[in-house]
Amino acid sequence: MARLSIEHLRKSYGDLTVVDDVAIDIADGEFLVLLGPSGCGKTTTLRMVAGFVPPSAGRITIGERDVTTLPPWKRNCGLVFQSYALFPHMTVAENVAFGLEMRKVAPADRAPRVAEALRLVQLTGFDGRYPRQLSGGQQQRVALARALAMEPDVLLLDEPLSNLDAKLRQEVRVEIRELQRKLGLTTIMVTHDQEEALTMADRLVVMEKGKVRQIGSQRELYERPADRFVAGFIGRSAFLDGESLAPGRFVSAGGLHIACAAATGQGGATLALRPERIAVGSDAAGLANRFEARVEHAAYLGALIDIHVRLSEQDQMLLQLPNRQGFAEPRPGDSITIGWAEDAGLVYALES
Amino acid sequence: MSATAPEAVAGARTGLAGALVVPATIFVAIGLLGPIAILFRYSLNQFIPGQFMVDGLTIENYVKFFTDGYYLNVLVRTVRVAVICTIACLIMGFPLAYVLARMTSPRKNLLIMLVVLPLFVGNAVRAAGWMAAFGSKGALNASLIGLGLIDQPLEIMFTENAVLIGIVAVNLPFMVLTLQSVIEGIPRHVEEAAFSLGAGPMAMFRRVLWPLALPGILAGTILTFILAMNAYATPVLLGGPKFQMMGPLVYGQFAQQNNWPFGGAISFILMTATIVLTVAAHLIVQRRYR
Repeated sequence: MARLSIEHLRKSYGDLTVVDDVAIDIADGEFLVLLGPSGCGKTTTLRMVAGFVPPSAGRITIGERDVTTLPPWKRNCGLVFQSYALFPHMTVAENVAFGLEMRKVAPADRAPRVAEALRLVQLTGFDGRYPRQLSGGQQQRVALARALAMEPDVLLLDEPLSNLDAKLRQEVRVEIRELQRKLGLTTIMVTHDQEEALTMADRLVVMEKGKVRQIGSQRELYERPADRFVAGFIGRSAFLDGESLAPGRFVSAGGLHIACAAATGQGGATLALRPERIAVGSDAAGLANRFEARVEHAAYLGALIDIHVRLSEQDQMLLQLPNRQGFAEPRPGDSITIGWAEDAGLVYALES
Repeated sequence: MSATAPEAVAGARTGLAGALVVPATIFVAIGLLGPIAILFRYSLNQFIPGQFMVDGLTIENYVKFFTDGYYLNVLVRTVRVAVICTIACLIMGFPLAYVLARMTSPRKNLLIMLVVLPLFVGNAVRAAGWMAAFGSKGALNASLIGLGLIDQPLEIMFTENAVLIGIVAVNLPFMVLTLQSVIEGIPRHVEEAAFSLGAGPMAMFRRVLWPLALPGILAGTILTFILAMNAYATPVLLGGPKFQMMGPLVYGQFAQQNNWPFGGAISFILMTATIVLTVAAHLIVQRRYR
């Protein structure tokens, strides 16, 4: 295992830049997740680390080795694909032994390492099966065992769970995470699934349009999103467009005056609020910002209820209420009082 | 079978599926199996010059073939040409098929058309073109002599090499198209997995690509081998009168010698040799890789 460093990494196809000046440092044994919408460049970044895509610029270092120009077979990166990519003509044991075979490990020394890798993923006794005789979850474990058996410096996971059904996905998440911690594997995982990213990562990298938007822990990304994109991508946000008039003062497009600690007087801006931090009815009493709102739509989601309200002609927002015992959800047309604290919102200057 | 189970073939339950295979079956039975059966019967007849064909039940036609060095030589030459052509097609066709299969650009279809292009030109037309290009007074020799590089014209036409080149040129598209469709079915990620596990390009090819492409390799080699074994126009036109292969030999017995029993026997020997060699190769390959 080793630390991994990505410096000023860029990939362009003609005029199209799909990865733009990405810089990430991953500590030894850290589980890092690249998260972003499809087409954000996260998979291309992973494939550059694996060696399948030559970077247009930048440097990739694993431990002390500069691997930027090395072919994939010399990088010692264990890779798990979304499709698992098992060798269909080989048994489970042959699949897992493949990396050792390529490293010229003597056949007698391979067997115990294959057995150990299969034990780690709880597939002891499946040695002689072929991939087609396994369920999706089992194939996924074989793919993981195959990557682990060669003792890679870095483990790369490319949407490894998206072909599993929802229930299995939650189990495998925990299993992969435990295994990764136990073995101290430096790991990069690519996913578009926010919940998966939040449950598994030590740190997350949010990417969009080829650029890194923010790197941080779950708490940092949720509490202090660096920009409007992250605020909308990690969790949900209620946005009010308007203007930051002066320190502490924000006015919405519809003319609502809002006390907001994050406003600094930067001009045209967006106020972002977490929908579950907006209080309703008597809970709103005593808060710095209180407004009458008209309910436009309420969605019953079980544990939560989403309520879309209109504050003025031009101001709409989303709030989320816990579905407490005896709670009667408001109906469209109802008028309710909502409120939030002065330090509840974040303000982002409008992006040009 | 439960009422909700999907039908293996649409219409299987109504007998429609049975009806669908009837036209092709009748066509093959009338057009192929019938004549072959008659031919086999002929091959057991006697040939008496002047009397054409005399009914009988004798193996003398087969004995004649296998005891005469000339005919055996033709069979050996035919097998040799077919084997060399098949191997050449495989060696040249695999890389091309691989590149085509992995290509994603819109020019792919154009390139596939180019691969098929040789089949648009009939054998006779192509052979005539080669005569003009490679004959002793052809463009190539005229140029080389004109440049003073050689004194005597190179003998390309009417040699085994000319026939080999000719058959490979015709068979290559069949090999390439067969391999291409099978390689396209091998996910790119499987190759990448092998690379990430430390396999260089040669090791990846040997341990992953080749075994997974094997069904296509078998289909392609069988196709080109059968075509080469039975080649007619190319050996006649490019090999010349002294270069005999089995296909022209059969035709000669029927059309020139009027010896139908012997022609029938040669036909059967050719067919049997083709089938036996194909099946044998198939079995050997399967045992080696499965």
